[in-house]
Amino acid sequence: MRGQLEQMRQQVVAAIAAATTEDALNEIRVRYLGRKGELTGLMKGLGALPPEERPKVGQLVNVVKEEMEGAIDAALTTAREAATAQRLATERIDVTLPGRRRRLGSKHPVTLVVEEVSEIFAGLGFSVAEGPEIEHDWYNFEALNFPPEHPARDMQDTFFVENELLLRTHTSPVQIRTMLKQKPPVRIIAPGTVYRCDSDATHSPMFHQIEGLMVDSKVSFADLKGILTIFTNQLFGQKTGVRLRPSFFPFTEPSAEVDIACVICGGSGCRVCKQTGWLEILGAGMVDPEVFRHVGYDPETISGFAFGMGIERIAMLKYGISDMRLLFENDVRFLTQF
Amino acid sequence: MKVTYNWLKEFVDFDLEPAALGDLLTMLGLEVEGVEQVGGGLDAVVVARVAAKAQHPNADKLSLCKVDNGSELLDIVCGAQNFKQGDTVALAQIGAVLPGDFKIKRSKIRGEESCGMLCSEKELGLADESAGIMVLPPELKLGTPLFEALGLKDTIFEIGLTPNRADCLSVIGIAREIAAKLGTSLKTPAVAVPEGTEPASKHVGVTVHDPAGCPRYAARYISGCSIAPSPAWLANRLQAVGVRSINNVVDITNLVMMELGHPLHAFDYRQVAGGQIVVRKAAEGERFTTLDGQERVLAVDDVVICDTERAVALAGIMGGLNSEIKDDTCTILLESAFFDPPTIRRTSKRLGLHTESSHRFERGADIGMVPLALDRAAGLMAELAGGTVAAGRVDCYPAPRQPVNICFRPQRCNEMIGIELSAERMAALFRNLAFTVAANADGSLQVGIPTWRVDIEREIDLIEEICRLHGFEHVPATMPRASVISDRPSRHQQLLRTVRNHLVNEGMSEIVTFSFIAPDVADKLALALDDQRRNGIRLCNPLAEEQSVMRTTLLPGLLETAAHNMSFRSLDLRLFEMRRIYMPQADEQMPCEPIWAAGLLSGSRNPEGWCQPQADSDFFDAKAILENLFDVLQLGNIRWSAENPEPYYHPGKACRILCGNQLIGTLGEIHPTVQARFELERPVYCFELDFEAVVRLAGKHQGIEPPTRYPDSVRDVALVAPLELPAEQLLACVQGLRLKELERVTIFDLYQGEKIPAGSKSIALRLRYRSSERTLTDDEVSALHQKVVATLVKKLGVALR
Repeated sequence: MRGQLEQMRQQVVAAIAAATTEDALNEIRVRYLGRKGELTGLMKGLGALPPEERPKVGQLVNVVKEEMEGAIDAALTTAREAATAQRLATERIDVTLPGRRRRLGSKHPVTLVVEEVSEIFAGLGFSVAEGPEIEHDWYNFEALNFPPEHPARDMQDTFFVENELLLRTHTSPVQIRTMLKQKPPVRIIAPGTVYRCDSDATHSPMFHQIEGLMVDSKVSFADLKGILTIFTNQLFGQKTGVRLRPSFFPFTEPSAEVDIACVICGGSGCRVCKQTGWLEILGAGMVDPEVFRHVGYDPETISGFAFGMGIERIAMLKYGISDMRLLFENDVRFLTQF
Repeated sequence: MKVTYNWLKEFVDFDLEPAALGDLLTMLGLEVEGVEQVGGGLDAVVVARVAAKAQHPNADKLSLCKVDNGSELLDIVCGAQNFKQGDTVALAQIGAVLPGDFKIKRSKIRGEESCGMLCSEKELGLADESAGIMVLPPELKLGTPLFEALGLKDTIFEIGLTPNRADCLSVIGIAREIAAKLGTSLKTPAVAVPEGTEPASKHVGVTVHDPAGCPRYAARYISGCSIAPSPAWLANRLQAVGVRSINNVVDITNLVMMELGHPLHAFDYRQVAGGQIVVRKAAEGERFTTLDGQERVLAVDDVVICDTERAVALAGIMGGLNSEIKDDTCTILLESAFFDPPTIRRTSKRLGLHTESSHRFERGADIGMVPLALDRAAGLMAELAGGTVAAGRVDCYPAPRQPVNICFRPQRCNEMIGIELSAERMAALFRNLAFTVAANADGSLQVGIPTWRVDIEREIDLIEEICRLHGFEHVPATMPRASVISDRPSRHQQLLRTVRNHLVNEGMSEIVTFSFIAPDVADKLALALDDQRRNGIRLCNPLAEEQSVMRTTLLPGLLETAAHNMSFRSLDLRLFEMRRIYMPQADEQMPCEPIWAAGLLSGSRNPEGWCQPQADSDFFDAKAILENLFDVLQLGNIRWSAENPEPYYHPGKACRILCGNQLIGTLGEIHPTVQARFELERPVYCFELDFEAVVRLAGKHQGIEPPTRYPDSVRDVALVAPLELPAEQLLACVQGLRLKELERVTIFDLYQGEKIPAGSKSIALRLRYRSSERTLTDDEVSALHQKVVATLVKKLGVALR
């Protein structure tokens, strides 16, 4: 029996040495160590041995069995590693081939600017308000201190609809609607579509604005300057110069045009800024007391500022779009660049 | 509004270069929109000296000169006789461009080279006639540009005035602003009228029947004028500010208007019957021919200037053809009046007649300027047209304007602006503006407003003046001390972003199209005649018929955009628009403006590539986008109903989308006829979704189902069903069994063709069974599966394949 064991041990060693694959090694395990395997069979013969022999031989069988298992496991590990190495050595793809892409969608630049500006103002505590585009004359003009027959109405060429309705010429009527709905404090921005009957290379009959309004107990023109400085710095970069200069809007006083240092030339003068070094990006001012009276606020106890900007103008500056019409042609070769 | 640097200097002293003056004006709120140099092409015309003069060898009337321009001697051929060696002359060098676009080039005249031209005043636009070339004072420095040497150099500023600043529609108005900012005083022109002895009232009478429309009317009588072209300086000055020269008398009225801001009108006295001016309201339908030759039909609101018989001018807007200044006019009735701004604006707007005069009157002229403007013009008519001015003015001013006084609180101003100026400083700023200031006992100021500042009526207007003169640039930038407001985007706003983001994630590009569309798109879309989408709101004044109706559907914009892109060979399209439509509402003045989301798919599903199958998008690509969206929105109970599809869809490839019983949208392939009408060369698939309905119906997250630990068993079955049996019924039948061990059922294959009977289709279902409590045995799974299959066969009459 010892001789048989030794013989079997040697056979296994030889078989392992000859085996090159995992499958062959597994076969060896089954052949010798499986339930019907040769070593297992031999162990069944233990019972025929004299009782005093049994522990010794049994121990020996176990030693041989462990040795065989160890050898097979080791060989398996080696074979697996070799197989992996072999696979890794042969499998090659061309990583420079393009990936299996899906179509990418895109938001319109007008939407992108609205979202970015809304985010900046959300950080300053402004929430988003909305109003109708087909608007009543009273909200669009009268409540904003544009009396009928006033030359200021000429500043905004208006599309009219019947029954004293019109297409809103600015997002400012949302100020009125908001203030009529709630008491101060108010802190809103109102992005939206607006219309003026004017169409050429720099004017579109439909365009977009974002209105802002802040009303509280002691809001000053200096605060307006502070908020707009933060806003323009966040939108165009930390060191963008900002300039307010006097202007006129019927619904604010004092009124200001807000310029930023030209983002194209940095202020030295170029075609985009017409050699001035400045780009006009928004209009602003302190809410006129007349407007407060129209909405039932007391101008002696509260004050506020309002501002409005053209979204297309900002989109054009941010993305280097030189022709406004590109924004409404909706050519996919343009749209998919966003 | 144009104004020149030199003209301003006549009214105010300042020590600023043109560029600095431009900045100062802009920062005062008088935005300089353009700057132009006078004599722009004339920089190459310089002061030079005739160093030598000799006879031209080949021409008797020409001389051959050596001309010294300060740096070199040039050969010049000249035809003039009025100069001699040593004279200082104006030399147009090569490259100069003289008025009339006359370019100076190197040339040969009768065989002799000439490197420029000696100029006459006429050639330089400095005179209307001139005999010979310009001989200059000898002290001028050689080589200096001529305009600079003669002090003619000027800069023209184009100023974009806001409508509130009527007072700045003149040289004097802008000069006042400069004086106020610099703290210097205005140089008001001294006006002296050499008057005759005869009183004007002997020849002229003024009666105002409409004192509201015409609060003041003044006139002078000037006889013995000769109408002639204006002297060059006058014509040039007007030309510089964009006014065409007509004749001396008319030019004088225009000059005074540009200078003092007050429009005047000169009548031919012969045509004013009885020398009587009557100001009245027009009769409804009255016809009147203005001096541009147009016959105007007047309304009862209009104010006309008449004589005893007929109208002779449309007040404040334009004179009449019947009384205009003619070449043989010698007696003039000169009008200086003030008209009510809204009246002028109404008339001017209704007649579509906008003039320099109406522009000023409708914004508000200076009623206090009436006599000065009249005198200044009369004085110039005496000087330039040889007229004799009768003594005195006829001035009808029944209710003199009361001075405006406003109480101003310095503290309130400081709070409003966020600055800290003393009351004394503010009072000084007001005085710089020629406002009067008196201190009230309570520390406030009483500020008196001059007649030209028609824009200043309230305290806030004065606060703005302080802010403006102090300088916007000197206001600090501070952060407001604001109340806390707790707010977040509304559900509507959040879902808008969710849907938009989803569509972008599905590879769609957002478009923005005009809200107004062509009225004929309803026909192009084959909408039924009673379809309410035909009732779009019409604009009263559209720019074009194609942009005249507010859209009631987003489809036309999508289809037109697709056609535009296809015309540029962009054939693979995934577009969406998510914006408002405009629906009139019965019994409501305001229309409603719901947001819709509409999408369009056409062409290849995937980008071109080596490893992607190239197949075109179809109905089910569009449907999948919506199915995914409804999952994102937790929108359950969706039905896709093939009944009554929209007329613009292919009748066999379209559906309505219902949530419960509510219609929330449609989906389909565009009808081939509609496709052709929109000039789409390829089939397109569209969907429309009522976003407002989605907001109402979108649900909340229902909570999760924990994943089980037991293994699944998958069984497939292929069924032969009638072609018309909707797949939905198979799934509904299986789900109707409510087997809790059936985890999922999917359709994984669909076959129609030779291998199965005609009129039928094969649908393969894959069913995944799993218990959440234990591992199911093979027999249990088989029993469940048998039950499913048997039910399908029994209820739907399908056969096993």
